[in-house]
Amino acid sequence: MASRNPVISCRDLRYTYPGTTQPALNGINLEVERGEIVLITGATGAGKTTLCSTFNGLIPHFYGGRIEGQVKVLGLDVKDTSAGYLSTKVGMLFQDPSSQLISATVEDEVAFGPENLGIPVEEIDKRTNSVLAYMELSELRDRPPFALSGGQQQAVGLASVIAMKPEILVLDEPTSNLDPIGTLNIFALLRKISREEENTIIIVEHKLQELVDIADRIVVIEGGKIALEGPPREILAEEAVLLHERGLQPPQVSLLAHRLRAAGIPIERIPLNVRESLEVLSKPLQALRGASTASPDGGSQPRRVTGEPIIEVENVSFQYPTGVLAVRDVSVKFYKEDFVGIIGQNGSGKTTLVKLLNGLLKPTKGNVKVFGLNSRESPIHDLIRHVGYVFQDPDSQLFSKTVYQELSFGLKNLRVPREQWESRINSVAKMLLIDSLLKEAPYSLSRGDRQRVAIASVLVMDPQVVVVDEPTTGQDPRKRREIMELMKVLHEKHGKTIIFITHDMDLVAEYAKRCIVMKDGRIVLDGVPHEVFLHYDELEGTHLKPPMITLLFKELATRYNVRRDILTVDEALDYLKSNLVS
Amino acid sequence: MAFEYIQGQSLMHRLDPRTKVLFFALVTVLIVVVYDPIIMLGLLGVIVLMYRLSGIPLSKLWGITKALLPVFIMFLVLNYFVIPPRGATVYFYLLPGIAPVTIETTLVGITSALRFVLFIWLSRLLTFTTSISEILIAMVKMKSPPEIATSLGIAFSSVPLMINQFSTVIQAQKSRGSQIEVRNPIKKGISFIPVVVPGIYLTILRGMNVARTVEARAFTYNPKKRTFRKMIRFGGEDYAFLAVSSLLTAVIVAIRILYGWFDYTFILRDVLKLI
Repeated sequence: MASRNPVISCRDLRYTYPGTTQPALNGINLEVERGEIVLITGATGAGKTTLCSTFNGLIPHFYGGRIEGQVKVLGLDVKDTSAGYLSTKVGMLFQDPSSQLISATVEDEVAFGPENLGIPVEEIDKRTNSVLAYMELSELRDRPPFALSGGQQQAVGLASVIAMKPEILVLDEPTSNLDPIGTLNIFALLRKISREEENTIIIVEHKLQELVDIADRIVVIEGGKIALEGPPREILAEEAVLLHERGLQPPQVSLLAHRLRAAGIPIERIPLNVRESLEVLSKPLQALRGASTASPDGGSQPRRVTGEPIIEVENVSFQYPTGVLAVRDVSVKFYKEDFVGIIGQNGSGKTTLVKLLNGLLKPTKGNVKVFGLNSRESPIHDLIRHVGYVFQDPDSQLFSKTVYQELSFGLKNLRVPREQWESRINSVAKMLLIDSLLKEAPYSLSRGDRQRVAIASVLVMDPQVVVVDEPTTGQDPRKRREIMELMKVLHEKHGKTIIFITHDMDLVAEYAKRCIVMKDGRIVLDGVPHEVFLHYDELEGTHLKPPMITLLFKELATRYNVRRDILTVDEALDYLKSNLVS
Repeated sequence: MAFEYIQGQSLMHRLDPRTKVLFFALVTVLIVVVYDPIIMLGLLGVIVLMYRLSGIPLSKLWGITKALLPVFIMFLVLNYFVIPPRGATVYFYLLPGIAPVTIETTLVGITSALRFVLFIWLSRLLTFTTSISEILIAMVKMKSPPEIATSLGIAFSSVPLMINQFSTVIQAQKSRGSQIEVRNPIKKGISFIPVVVPGIYLTILRGMNVARTVEARAFTYNPKKRTFRKMIRFGGEDYAFLAVSSLLTAVIVAIRILYGWFDYTFILRDVLKLI
């Protein structure tokens, strides 16, 4: 895009991190105009964060490394301008919310940047108050940031960047810890800021369909280069199939339209949202009106699992020593055949509930029975033989010199005879495709492989139930699916019971056989996803939203005689194909 | 926690941190010149009163004191080993031939133990009533570079976060069967390796993240001209408080030097004579 006076311009930008040989950026040419909202997307490791770090001079001044080509921000060459000065013009929000909170209270956090700018105290107070009010954080102003939920922390981080009133805002995955409704609120806020303050905004995101109407331009980065660039409408609609193949997440309705077209169903143009989809599908669906062969109940979706429960949670409440009542009178049973997705807003009690299942927490009221053992009376040592728990962050548990030693840790603790170690470790390593890494040091591996090692280190103890807490947070769509595919293999081939926590509704729709929705420490919905996702209003009350494709079929069902319980693009495609082609 | 701050509007809260530091110095002088255990108890009473006036629940004070009991006893017992009886009546020996127990050594032991308690009570009173940010601003006012004050502030506010991270590490290792709650100290030490290693890694990571964040929030832009939002002021209350406490201290020190009052048996002398 040619412009006369861009606020950011990159020319043949190449950058290599210190200690590496592979360039992270490999010939980027990009110009951003004042007031523009640019969406940058791409797989993990494509170079999105690296590119952003050049805009405020963290690259090269903070990280070092070798930079070639040119980056100019507001006419200044970043190579010759200090990161301290650039940071007064370019505000940057980093990915992990808690990593960037440094003050004792929310108020101090928001005031920290303005204080560094050396502006008068009255002006700082004014800005702090207005930003806190704007972001609906005023009530939290005296709270320590570390004690907030992930979503609130993310909002505080954003507030502290906005309070500096930078000309350019660079936001690296600003909604990664937010639930679906919280995400929409942040995006609406960004649009408001850009209109009122004429800020230039650069957003790195995987959530593409939510940004269709907000971004002016979308830039897809791949292997340190710009692979695609253009207006969101063009890129997301026309290139939906390509984006999907590259492991990104184009709007589900766009993907569906492409697939229908490929199947010979006449689709005039590619829609980007539910409303457009209704128009586009109105013609082909004419044939269907009142003459559908579909049964409203559908046929192939999973049925509810029953049988002998292996974990029974009976009237359990849990209160933290701080006084927070995180789980309130919950009763639920888990079965051997279960593949359960637990969803719910931040702070709804999901993690507390699963920590009660392996005895990490003991109920303050009620009982948890795990394979007949009461978790109050049985030591955690006995419970973890049945229920394995994989923590979100692999870095909070890996400590050994080699992957092999890491995997033997649990076996040693459970006093498994040494002669069994090798065969157990080898078979689990094969299962998780890390058998070639057994001699490597865990810390030298990629994040994805470290996560696999963490999962393997639990699986090696051979628990029947595998609990995974937010395995997909902070990962790109392809990596998320890889993890879930792995869970599917463990479930289907190795007979494991899977319980996972996630914010990603599409994953629950696609993989879970059962879905539990939590709100304020209670279970509000529990059933097969095909039932749960039809409770649109209850879900909205818990800050959640069904997948876009489900919302499309909700609308379609009011106009035509079609099923409502469609949860994935594949399901929609099969259903429409079989009913429209015939 | 060692740096817990309890919000309030009492005199102790309102005083400038520099006043509190000077007050601490004055009390230290008192602790050095006063040997009489009964007077020491009186000073402790004054501190308790200050806790009450500052609105700090006495349960907090009891919490601190409970933790101090073993040290209190240690001070008492150790005195018998180091203070010679100097001709006083020896009642018995703690160990055969060593550590003679006399009235005098007992009183000395009690006083040094009480001194220790007073020292801790007072330090905690000051930290309860002074927020970290006040301390940091006091540092800047006392001409320490703003970079140092800010880094200390960030370090303090990172403590709770690091505690959270450590407890996550402990839970993750417990989930893999690690037995951290063993009694044997050697086994316990070894069982902590799986906690300490990720802990160190996470701490280094935190340091890197903080450095990056501070840079991105323009901290290095112009540290000398940085605005400190909260300011501290040396006001009338500070002068009055310091005047009164220095005067009292000066009088006590003068009496001690001129008349030799406040030794170990200053109040109990007549009682002891009867025995």
